[in-house]
Amino acid sequence: MLVLVLGDLHIPHRCQGLPAKFKKLLVPGRIHHILCTGNLCTKESYDYLKTLASDVHVVRGDFDENINYPEQKVVTVGQFRIGLCHGHQVVPWGDPDSLALIQHQLDVDILISGHTHKFEAYEHDNKFYINPGSATGAYNPLESNIIPSFVLMDIQSSTVVTYVYQLIGEDVKVERIEYKKS
Amino acid sequence: MITNNLSLISVKPQTPQLSPQEEQDKLLDEALGVVKVQAFQMKRCLDKSKLMEALKHASNMLGELRTSLLSPKSYYELYMAVTDELRHLELYLLDEFQKGHKVADLYELVQYAGNIIPRLYLLTTVGLVYMRTNEHSKRDILKDIVEMCRGVQHPLRGLFLRNYLLQCTRNILPDADEENAEHAETVGTVKDSVDFILINFAEMNKLWVRMQHQGHSKEKERREQERQELRLLVGTNLVRLSQLESIDVEKYKKIVLPGILEQVVSCRDAIAQEYLMECIIQVFPDEFHLQTLNSFLKACAELHQNVNVKNIIIALIDRLAVFATKEDGTGIPQDIKLFDIFSEQVAQIIQSRQDMPAEDTVSLQVSLINLALKCYPERFDYVDKVLQTSVDIFQNLGIKRVEYNTPVAKELLRLLKIPVQIYNNLLTVLKLEHFGSMLDFCDYHSRKTMSIFVLNNALENDTLIPTSEEVDQILTLVAPLIQDQPDQPTEKDDPEDFAEEQGLVGRFVTLMSADTPDQQYLILNTARKHFGNGGNQRIKYTLPPLVFQAYKLAFQYKSLSEEDEKWDRKCQKIFQFCHQTISALIKAEMAELSLRLFLQGGLAAGQIQFENHETVAYEFVSQAFSLYEEEVSDSKAQLAAITLITATVEQMTCFGEENHEPLRTQCALAASKLLKKPDQCRGVAICSHLFWSGKTRATSEEEMHDGKRVAECLKKGLRIANQCMNSSVQVQLFVELLNHYIYFYEKGNDQITVQVLNQLISKIKQELPGLEANEETDQINKHFLNTIEHLKNRMDAPEGDGVSYGGLVL
Repeated sequence: MLVLVLGDLHIPHRCQGLPAKFKKLLVPGRIHHILCTGNLCTKESYDYLKTLASDVHVVRGDFDENINYPEQKVVTVGQFRIGLCHGHQVVPWGDPDSLALIQHQLDVDILISGHTHKFEAYEHDNKFYINPGSATGAYNPLESNIIPSFVLMDIQSSTVVTYVYQLIGEDVKVERIEYKKS
Repeated sequence: MITNNLSLISVKPQTPQLSPQEEQDKLLDEALGVVKVQAFQMKRCLDKSKLMEALKHASNMLGELRTSLLSPKSYYELYMAVTDELRHLELYLLDEFQKGHKVADLYELVQYAGNIIPRLYLLTTVGLVYMRTNEHSKRDILKDIVEMCRGVQHPLRGLFLRNYLLQCTRNILPDADEENAEHAETVGTVKDSVDFILINFAEMNKLWVRMQHQGHSKEKERREQERQELRLLVGTNLVRLSQLESIDVEKYKKIVLPGILEQVVSCRDAIAQEYLMECIIQVFPDEFHLQTLNSFLKACAELHQNVNVKNIIIALIDRLAVFATKEDGTGIPQDIKLFDIFSEQVAQIIQSRQDMPAEDTVSLQVSLINLALKCYPERFDYVDKVLQTSVDIFQNLGIKRVEYNTPVAKELLRLLKIPVQIYNNLLTVLKLEHFGSMLDFCDYHSRKTMSIFVLNNALENDTLIPTSEEVDQILTLVAPLIQDQPDQPTEKDDPEDFAEEQGLVGRFVTLMSADTPDQQYLILNTARKHFGNGGNQRIKYTLPPLVFQAYKLAFQYKSLSEEDEKWDRKCQKIFQFCHQTISALIKAEMAELSLRLFLQGGLAAGQIQFENHETVAYEFVSQAFSLYEEEVSDSKAQLAAITLITATVEQMTCFGEENHEPLRTQCALAASKLLKKPDQCRGVAICSHLFWSGKTRATSEEEMHDGKRVAECLKKGLRIANQCMNSSVQVQLFVELLNHYIYFYEKGNDQITVQVLNQLISKIKQELPGLEANEETDQINKHFLNTIEHLKNRMDAPEGDGVSYGGLVL
């Protein structure tokens, strides 16, 4: 099961579109689910995601136009309960212990959050945390070197292999992280 | 034997009435029958070497071609059958001649055949045999026969006869240069062939044109259709000319083309002219066309008013454009100013044809632009000249605005889109001085269409706009998207379309990127002026990207602070610009967006730390606060806003205690004043972080770790939770607070003791069973269990320098 995880596009406020090299990789038909951390910010980007897969989940970012996106969401894929939340509501932003509070509440195996525009993938107390970063490499006042990135999760029974795609300079670099549900 | 005696036709037919097509079929069948019989006889005589008798039968056979009753289609079939059979005669004669059996005066003999049609066909056949067996007869015989064919003035019969002549002679035309020709007098040179073909061509064309005027006016359409069916017969002459190998550019220029053009122009027939001009283009090589452009184009100007000159010119230009851009081709010779020639001649043509519709003149300009772009891609001035010419044409025609969806409008859009598409660089399009003037002729819809097209092109090509002048030009060009137009229709735009269009403009803002920060500042100001005229509906799309560009610019100035001593003041100016821009959004009732933009500004100012940044950061955060207090009334929105403000302040390290204290206090106060109890509780819990990890200059940017205030916040949260009447919500809040307590406990807040934790845990354990069994309760349970498990993990495997959970009761 392929799950695309991305967010913080900030189109058109901070960026005009996804990097061309990313667009080429994201072809419809291969992705089963899309989990978006929010800050699209407009319907146009949502419509674009719908062309890649029909099952699209979005949570509300602080700049999203659509105020009806939920603040949090839980999605079950295979054996995994996956939590989704933008992260601007988590104080301090990006703090692993604060994020853990959300994990407790949502009772999820994997918690996906964004807002920091910085890719993260780590285990904490046997649970898995992913931040796909900003797919467009959007401006963030607290981060000086932003690398465009998104994540693809390949979920097979109790294992999820996470591929992170980063645009470093002109090239797309891919890294692989594995997480097994305990 | 069929006679074509007209008197027979007036007799009432005894048989039932046949349709015209059936009538034709019948006549054709009868004729073909005769041909078959006579051909058979002819061949039998030839087998017995009875030449004279064979010729008689051949004559009879050819007599069928004297008919006036057949349509061109049927006549063609008859002609094919007859000439097929005639080949046998030709082969027999050739054979005889080659064997040396000279048949005396055959040429003379054949001239005494009865009627002119059979006579001339036989003469041609015999003449061909003579020419093939004796080269030196060529020149005379060719001259002779082409003249003699004048004897047949009936268009259909004449055309086919001359076609026969052309077909027969196709492989034996003399093709030697004058200089190199041996026995030029007798064999002939290529010039003799040219003369021969030109005469044949002229005569055939005259016959063809004559068909136009034969018969009743109400049959005009059918006649013209029939003429079209026969056009290839005339065109074959031109093909034959093109097949002469000794024709070089010079000869083409001096004798071939002038001969053709003279006939084409003087015949004054639209059908012939249109076909033949295009034929010339197709049949002769592009190298020839390049050297004869002026004559060809001048001839175009002289064509009949009904001729679609536009199509001819476009066909020629397209061919030459392909020739010019062919990969391993020679390209256009330097000395041929292709564009100048076409530009001038097209202008002449337009002038000479007063009733050329406006859209056709634009189509011609489109083809000129294509020529310029394909053959001279670096010459923007050529493209601009075409645009200028178009402007002049429109002005001369008195056109002010072109209405959407008319043919002219469609051509005009084509004209404007081409440079955008080909250059794929908006900055190059801006160099075309007359592009804007041309655009002005479009009505609102077309101008909007072009605006969208232009912006999309820039976005697709990632064209960065580096100067404020260019930004100014572009925003002026795409004015229909930027501000209301005087000729805008009064109906409102479709909201989705409007949002998409404004989204385009917003995205375009990110393309504005100067090489120097100072230039970028000018760009932002220029854009701001344009967007300011857009009205409240537009600014919510266009101003936010501008604000973010400004924040980014401020960071840029910081990174270059070594090189620019004025960078502090410049940053100050930028934040003033943002303040004023966000205020415009507030006036347009975009309170929540403005609040967020102010918070972003606060963060940016805090990071950049230019002189006076603390004041600016404080101002921005307090503006966000004011908006919260005055403009955000929805309770859900209030919780979201105060959470965001708190989270933002938590991140900021630039404030002194003087400024940070009121901000902390205000956050906590605001949280406690939220309408709904659960929101109050959660708000207050979030604020607790301010007192722990908040940083000020006073704490040397270390976390302040005010454990006491943290504990106070959480205690307050508990009090509020206790006031909740819904027990499910209450327990939920307790679990959340427990998590916050554990968080701070693990961070080392000594004001939070194990006792506090124990108390809360037992309280929750106490209340949980009392809850109604439903999904919500399940979730609360899981939440609590996860929390307990977290504690268990910590107790079983304590982290290195973590706190001890000694005394914890689970």
